[in-house]
Amino acid sequence: MTSIKLNNVSLVYRLFEKLTLSAPGRRRSALGGNISKSGTKQVVQALDDVSFELKAGDRLGLVGPNGAGKTTLLKVLYGIYQPSGGTISIAGKVDALFNISIGFRPEATGRRNIVLRGLISGWTLAEIEEKMEEIIDFSELGDFIDLPFKAYSQGMAARLAFAAATALEPEILLMDEWIGAGDASFQEKAKRRMDELAEKAGIIVLASHDESLIQRVCTKKMTLRAGRVESLT
Amino acid sequence: MIAALNGAFDDISKAVRLHRVWVALAHEDIGDQHRRTTLGPLWMLVNYFAFVGTFVFVFVTKDASDPSYIAYVAIGMLVWFYLTETITMSVSLFQREASFIQGTTLPLFVYVMRLTMQCIIRAGYSLAGCVLILLLAGYGINSNWLLSLLGLLLIVVATPALVTVFAFLGAFFPDSEFIVGNLMRVGMFLTPVFWVYSGQEGVQKYAYHWNPFTYFLEGVREPITAGIFPTHALTVTGYVCLGVWALALLLLGLYRKRIVFLI
Ligand SMILES: Nc1ncnc2c1ncn2[C@@H]1O[C@H](COP(=O)(O)OP(=O)(O)OP(=O)(O)O)[C@@H](O)[C@H]1O
Ligand SMILES: [Mg+2]
Repeated sequence: MTSIKLNNVSLVYRLFEKLTLSAPGRRRSALGGNISKSGTKQVVQALDDVSFELKAGDRLGLVGPNGAGKTTLLKVLYGIYQPSGGTISIAGKVDALFNISIGFRPEATGRRNIVLRGLISGWTLAEIEEKMEEIIDFSELGDFIDLPFKAYSQGMAARLAFAAATALEPEILLMDEWIGAGDASFQEKAKRRMDELAEKAGIIVLASHDESLIQRVCTKKMTLRAGRVESLT
Repeated sequence: MIAALNGAFDDISKAVRLHRVWVALAHEDIGDQHRRTTLGPLWMLVNYFAFVGTFVFVFVTKDASDPSYIAYVAIGMLVWFYLTETITMSVSLFQREASFIQGTTLPLFVYVMRLTMQCIIRAGYSLAGCVLILLLAGYGINSNWLLSLLGLLLIVVATPALVTVFAFLGAFFPDSEFIVGNLMRVGMFLTPVFWVYSGQEGVQKYAYHWNPFTYFLEGVREPITAGIFPTHALTVTGYVCLGVWALALLLLGLYRKRIVFLI
């Protein structure tokens, strides 16, 4: 059964301080995690004591000001970052859409990029072959699919990325601010695809600054502020 | 220690299962490097010929067609270029792959194998050139070539470990990129790539005996130029190989989850 469970998860980024001659004046910021020093290193507490639980069918919207820790939380869920403290247990196949251009090679064609993206996500060549036409149809890229990726507009890239990431029906889909680039008709289509996914007992976690998008797509909403959970409804 | 090794083997076995990824990416890399050129990857062959040619012309003065020196330089350059290229590219490996490392959950060893693969493909062109030079210099193909192959094989086996060790070095100490780059450039003169050691005293003696690269080179070269089985060279190469692999596994096991925070 698909599920996500986080217990008191925290994450700190350590930054190595460069040698500098300038005075160490600091300004307080309303944004971001908390900056502090430990020894010669600066550390940013990006997530602080985050706990929540999601079950099959949940669609969680992550909101919060810039630097609240949304992207960091998604990357912890995906497994890119190991948390500095706390425990995570995740059941289900996870796929993620962060930065649209990640995993895409500018010189290769859209078609070739689908193959690469599929291989990176652990698909077999047969699975990729099988899904290829569907991905191209869904993205509505037509003949552009055989042009190099660098010739795509941002929205076209977003379409390709979304179509590829959802084609193999991941059980858990993580998304970070991706959708803004698509036009209205594509956003509608994307929403339907996410509905389907959630109905098949999947989990979606979507970070966005677009309140109306969160309202349309999500069933739960979590507000982060300076790395802490401010509210969860 | 056991946990570290388990972690390392876990990373490696995941990467092996994803072998299609690094094979595909390595081909893309080679393609990208030469996409807008007419000769494409053949430039690597041209490059190799130019270097070997220069050294043969400059250093063979009296007896311009000494075939054993031509073979000496041709094989020396082949191995040395492969090692320099691999090592200098390894030091910046994780920085170059930063967007992938921060955006996907691919095991680190995938990047290691991608670079290994890329270096081997590139060396394939030089190898073709080397064989051509040997044939032109009058070395017929014989059973000694098989012994050389053994030396080459050991180098290939050592490559992923070398890449791993230098990639971690570069991630932990960014300055090492420049140090290693410089050392490798100087290293060409401290390694018997184009000079022949014949028992001199002094710097050359130490550069010959205390330089691991010497043995990597001699293991491939001696069977063809001297017609002997390079027992000593292969033994030392084997030990170096084991040592580097042990270090690589340890680094991979202990620090692979840290890399994403360092780049
Ligand atoms: N690679 C990094 N190194 C150091 N600190 C980082 C790094 N990435 C993020 N941070 C810090 O972690 C905190 C949370 O960042 P994060 O990217 O998760 O915010 P976010 O909620 O996604 O913001 P935004 O709405 O701007 O996308 C911020 O204070 C940021 O400065
Ligand atoms: Mg963000």
